[in-house]
Amino acid sequence: MSIAALVARFGRQHALQEIKWLKSAVQDNQHALEHLINRRLTGEPLQYILGTQPFGPLNLLVRPPVLIPRPETEHWAIQLAQLLSPTPAKPLSLLDLGTGSGCIPLLLCHLWPSGSLYAHGIDCSPDAVQLATDNAESVGIRLLSASTRRDGALTHNVFKPELASYLDPTVLNLLEPPYDVITANPPYIPRREYDDLPSEVKDYEDQRALLGGEDGLIFYHAIAKLVADGLLAEHGTLALEVGHDQAPRVQEILRAAAHMESIDVWLDPWGKQRTIIARRS
Amino acid sequence: MLSLRIGRSCTSSSPLLRLVAIQHRSYTAAKPQTNARIVNSASAQKQIQDIENNASKILRAVQLRTAERRKLRSEMTETFSTAEDIQRMKRLKETEDIQAAWTEWESTRELLNETIALLADEDPAMCAMAQEEYISLLSTLSHLASTKFPELLVPNSSTGHLSALMELKSGVGGSESSLFLSELLRMYMRYANVMNWKAALVGSNELDGGGTKDAIVEITGSGAYDALRWESGVHRVQRVPATETSGRVHTSTVAVVVLPLVEEKSVNAEEDLFSMDDIKLEVMRARGAGGQHVNKTESAVRLTHIPSGITVSMQDERSQHQNRRRAFQVLRARLMDLKIAAEIKSRRDVRRNLVQGADRSEKIRTYNFPQDRITDHRIGLTLTGINYVMEGDGLQSIIDPLQFHHNESVLADMLDEVPS
Repeated sequence: MSIAALVARFGRQHALQEIKWLKSAVQDNQHALEHLINRRLTGEPLQYILGTQPFGPLNLLVRPPVLIPRPETEHWAIQLAQLLSPTPAKPLSLLDLGTGSGCIPLLLCHLWPSGSLYAHGIDCSPDAVQLATDNAESVGIRLLSASTRRDGALTHNVFKPELASYLDPTVLNLLEPPYDVITANPPYIPRREYDDLPSEVKDYEDQRALLGGEDGLIFYHAIAKLVADGLLAEHGTLALEVGHDQAPRVQEILRAAAHMESIDVWLDPWGKQRTIIARRS
Repeated sequence: MLSLRIGRSCTSSSPLLRLVAIQHRSYTAAKPQTNARIVNSASAQKQIQDIENNASKILRAVQLRTAERRKLRSEMTETFSTAEDIQRMKRLKETEDIQAAWTEWESTRELLNETIALLADEDPAMCAMAQEEYISLLSTLSHLASTKFPELLVPNSSTGHLSALMELKSGVGGSESSLFLSELLRMYMRYANVMNWKAALVGSNELDGGGTKDAIVEITGSGAYDALRWESGVHRVQRVPATETSGRVHTSTVAVVVLPLVEEKSVNAEEDLFSMDDIKLEVMRARGAGGQHVNKTESAVRLTHIPSGITVSMQDERSQHQNRRRAFQVLRARLMDLKIAAEIKSRRDVRRNLVQGADRSEKIRTYNFPQDRITDHRIGLTLTGINYVMEGDGLQSIIDPLQFHHNESVLADMLDEVPS
């Protein structure tokens, strides 16, 4: 019986919880449930099987291999929504680097007042750009098509997902600096830790969303350089998710390469230093 | 379908409880007796006297309200525009219905006096008309004293607008208790549907072999809390479980707690029931490195409200944010429940109120399947036709008498404060 195997694998309580979620996805159809449980037993992430993941009040679509939004990201994105308070009279522009499912900009578009946010998201994966676009439609956020420049006052919150890599030296030509807010959940797993990742992460989610080079820090260096080159507005805010032990080193990078002195570190719900909030002045 | 029998409590000799009895009898749809016995002037006087004596405190309370109205009127300034005037106007508006009922009482009383004089009229046609008139006037008088005045005197419920959060936990009886819990849950969700409320299952622990170990259901809609609050307590089921081969009747229990639901949006910071400083929020289990390293769903949260020691765990939603929101909702409901209980205690309402005052660990109701009956032990109410109730539609026939009983005790406490 596959249910027993699920219990053996995840423990009783967690297995029961997953069965309940899977059950509601197949409306109690026993045969379909059996099939989903078997997929789960091969290591496929629950979120890909269900096809959705809640993120704050939003229910986002998820599709392999685009990174599944994590609860740590949900937590700091909600906190960021409370830290800043744009209005239609004082709107903000935002750039999300490596937007993936679009979770961060879409949540902010949803939570902030209508007409107070212009959000631009880039990703090097066409799958991610497509998913972010689908998510915007699914949660009812206005889309601006790639390579269209925004002009005039905002009547709604707008999201522009676009295919681009921020490791590409010519990326600035495509962007619209300066941005009031830059957010990113860059790939931060070092090579050595990547090799030891559980199968449900490594074998299903995009390596390009996880692996941050040998030391896990190459994307932070790239971001610091972009900030130094004027991507972030004078009094802008930079919000970066970091790996469980990277906060000190990322702060160091931002100080050295982007001269950012005002830096806060937010803890995630499990007590890990998870988010760097940095300002240029 | 449904029949109804009232137990011991109605045989009491106190006038007030007799009023309860009169009311309860109306559930059996019995019409006032209309046998055409000729009434003479003395027995008519006696009947009126009885109504007045039985309702003496109620009449006194109504008279106090009308006296208050006269005083308010006399205090009004000529311009009708001061702040005090506005307060007075508000109070006058509130007691308008009582005044109207009292006016009706006085005019009925006057008409009765005139009619009594004609009861023994020489003209048989006149006499017959007077008899008829008398019966109709007496029934108006009785209705005012026993129903209309009490209704108007009981203050509007301060919790009337609140939605409800119901927590069900299986008690003694093992899997049979869990099976019955599923059936009760279904009953409440169907009842909510009948009442045009929205029912949503917030969390539940289902068992492998069928049945539900515990469940939380949110019932949103105006009046939901006021109607469902009487469901708090231990519900007992007596029947032969489906799994029982020897045909023996088992007794199992399910504990229900009904909490008032306060919407997050409707509370502002100062009026909120707790301060965030008093909350300890824990996430369940270690997550290792967390972040990108892990994609296992770890959404369970636990809140502790330090001053009261209340803890709430929530794991049914896939997002931590949603579990957190749910947990805060349950915490708010529990704190609101404590607040209401404290208010009731301080108002002394609880003294005679068997329903609200009951300990939640007390058995309140028995569902006896072999005898097809439901008994509510608090008011000695017995109904037959379990299915009708379990299908949701019949629950109202239990809630109504409980609500009525509650109004009676509120009225009793209010009348105790009326100077005689």
